[in-house]
Amino acid sequence: MVAFLARSLASLAVTFVMVMTLVFVAMEALPGDAAMLRSGIDASAAATDAARRELGLDAPVIVRYAQWWGDLVRGDLGDSFRERRPVTTILVERLPVTGALALAAFSLSVVLGLGLGFLAGMTPGSRFDRGVLGYTTIGLALPEFWFGFVLLLVFAIAWPVLPLIGLPDGGGAGAWLRHLTLPAITLAIPRAAQLARLTRATVLEHRQADWVRTVRAKGGPASLEFRHVAANASPGLFAPIALEAGGLLTGTIVVEQVFGLPGVGAMLIGAIGARDVPVVQGATVLAVLVYVAMNLLADVALAAGDPRAREA
Amino acid sequence: MNHVVRSALAALLATSLSIGVAQDLVMATSAQPDMLDPHGTSATSAFQSTKSIYDTLVEVGRDGTIQPLLATSWSISDDGTVWTFDLAEATFHDGTPFDADDAIASLNRLRDADVSPKAEEFTAIREIEAVDARTLRVMLDQPTPALLASLASGWGAMLPSEKIAANHDFANEPIGTGAFMFDEWVRDGYLRLTANPDYFKGAPSIDSVTLRFVTDSAVQVQGLLSGDFHVIGGVATADLATIANRDDVTLVQEPSGTVLVTSINNRRPYLDDARVRQALNLAVDAQTVLDVAYGGGTMTGSFMEPGNPWLPSDVEPYGYDPERARALLDEAGVPDDWTLDMALPQPYEVHVQAGQIVQDMLADVGVNVEIRVVEWGVWLGEVYRGDRDFDLTVIGHTGKLDPTGRLGGYGDPDATYVGWDDPTSVSLLSEAAAEPDQTARAALYGEVLHRLHDTTPFIYFGASNRSHAHRANVEGFWMTPLLDSYDFRSVTVQ
Repeated sequence: MVAFLARSLASLAVTFVMVMTLVFVAMEALPGDAAMLRSGIDASAAATDAARRELGLDAPVIVRYAQWWGDLVRGDLGDSFRERRPVTTILVERLPVTGALALAAFSLSVVLGLGLGFLAGMTPGSRFDRGVLGYTTIGLALPEFWFGFVLLLVFAIAWPVLPLIGLPDGGGAGAWLRHLTLPAITLAIPRAAQLARLTRATVLEHRQADWVRTVRAKGGPASLEFRHVAANASPGLFAPIALEAGGLLTGTIVVEQVFGLPGVGAMLIGAIGARDVPVVQGATVLAVLVYVAMNLLADVALAAGDPRAREA
Repeated sequence: MNHVVRSALAALLATSLSIGVAQDLVMATSAQPDMLDPHGTSATSAFQSTKSIYDTLVEVGRDGTIQPLLATSWSISDDGTVWTFDLAEATFHDGTPFDADDAIASLNRLRDADVSPKAEEFTAIREIEAVDARTLRVMLDQPTPALLASLASGWGAMLPSEKIAANHDFANEPIGTGAFMFDEWVRDGYLRLTANPDYFKGAPSIDSVTLRFVTDSAVQVQGLLSGDFHVIGGVATADLATIANRDDVTLVQEPSGTVLVTSINNRRPYLDDARVRQALNLAVDAQTVLDVAYGGGTMTGSFMEPGNPWLPSDVEPYGYDPERARALLDEAGVPDDWTLDMALPQPYEVHVQAGQIVQDMLADVGVNVEIRVVEWGVWLGEVYRGDRDFDLTVIGHTGKLDPTGRLGGYGDPDATYVGWDDPTSVSLLSEAAAEPDQTARAALYGEVLHRLHDTTPFIYFGASNRSHAHRANVEGFWMTPLLDSYDFRSVTVQ
């Protein structure tokens, strides 16, 4: 188990270095630089040069790249070009919004996905099963921002029971919940659909298994059959659920745009536009860390739920 | 009797309501500040907010003229090089009084190129001194009439000298003398300001202002109609009719200082021929472009918005004449399969749409246009600056308080993105910049504007309308002419 974890950590570290380098190179390759965007459209060449010096962009690429890693090792993500504040401060400010949104969307998609998938799998061919199939097809086929706009049209404009956009300025947990309801549902629709499909397929597979057939042949109650299937199907779902959680961060980028939420995604979009390299790198570090954490969690959960995995 | 009682009750209710409820004005706007340090930024979106937090020595009035603010009066010596300002009694949000030392520290900070992207506007300043606590004297190397406009612009803000010396983080914790004090800023969310009860020109009547950053204009309009927003900063062309037809909201459309153009790269083959550039102007129906892409506007024939006092009245728009355009193109020997590369700035939907209309109109006179939509960073780095890789592009040049800001560099083929080559204009402009007599200055700029019409580096559309909208119960909100800053000082909500 320890060797296995060490191996996966090492490969994740290599991935991390590659991702960070790729993002750095990509930001460097994009035309238009932060100094120019900072000094404004009317600025003279001298003013742009002054901005470039101030942002430390006059140093060669390789020096800046090395510096970035040096700072990262000391836990310093650098200062934002645009906001003139430490990137860590900005991330800490943004995380509650994205974290709350991701958590709400995650819970919703797990409950919905597992619930619908399980029931559909236990009743193949039924009207309920066909309904779930219909939902998962639509949920996966259409882009999530489309659901966002439709939800806004229905619940914020035609029948205004929920707020249109943004975050409440004050108002406590209740106000937050109201503002996060539509974005969380938007994020959960395709993810729950994905999970429901997977759960349904896994349940169907396990229902064909010998031990379930035996239960059924012995005339065991439906609840016993249910328990057998659930216990055997669950471990196989841990990994996809954890991966789903890791990928939620990218989903929030689009949804935060649609709903005007000041989270990490909105920050990232703004930072790319302003060529704010330290912020883009910082957001990437965060995304990679979440992804790595979720991967490890999946491994551990799998090991806990399935005795066979512990042997490996 | 019954009637009297009822109106008395209603009056009582009304007063108790107006006393009991804190009046917060919510405005939705698409662009947020990059920082709240007025000396460090160059973004219009920043100055729109900092206008409420900081005051400048002088400011732009509703009629576009320069008015006293922190300087109650000023005088300029006959040779134009010694400027004396009398300062108002005002207090910074941190409680320290405003005096000449604060003005000196602020101007010195502005002149520091490592702090301010606008430092070059202040290079003529030789020395600044405090005659006494309430009198400021600025000595210049040469007459610089445009300096007054710089002092009236958002970046001319006055900051407390003690905090400047202590290297205070104005970008995130702004402190000024303005009518509103900084409260909270959630980036991509909102900026909240609270009324300054000690504002030297009288406390505002509303208690606070919340600027909400909403990029989608359709969402802004929905929020206005539902009453979530009191004011919205921009109305998309498609929504103008919706808003104009409602009783509970008011649409305000006023001429803006933004000159909309198709910019021509004068360095490129055939485009270096003035006849071709004139032909392109004649081939474009500018009023249609303004109406369809920009929701209306007024045509212009030179690089200045119509109605601007610096624009000579005899400069007329080109007019739409495709026949003559074709004749001029033939005369210039333009080949049949001539194809131009048009780079359009992706974040500005209106310019992209205008570009598509121009593409259609030019096709009518036999000029092919291939459109390339580019991201803003690319537009700035490769079209406006850098390699200047474009034949045509569509953009708006925002209003400037002084013609130096608008015309600076034109005529010098390397100084501007269009590469317009006119040495006469270069010398006229340098003469005008140091001319203290306003009538003589106007004549010089008028001459340049004539030249910018005749051998034009642009296809001129005209000036767009600036539109904002507010709930019918909101009064007193206005936007500064040319600078487009928000002024909430006299806003009331019924």
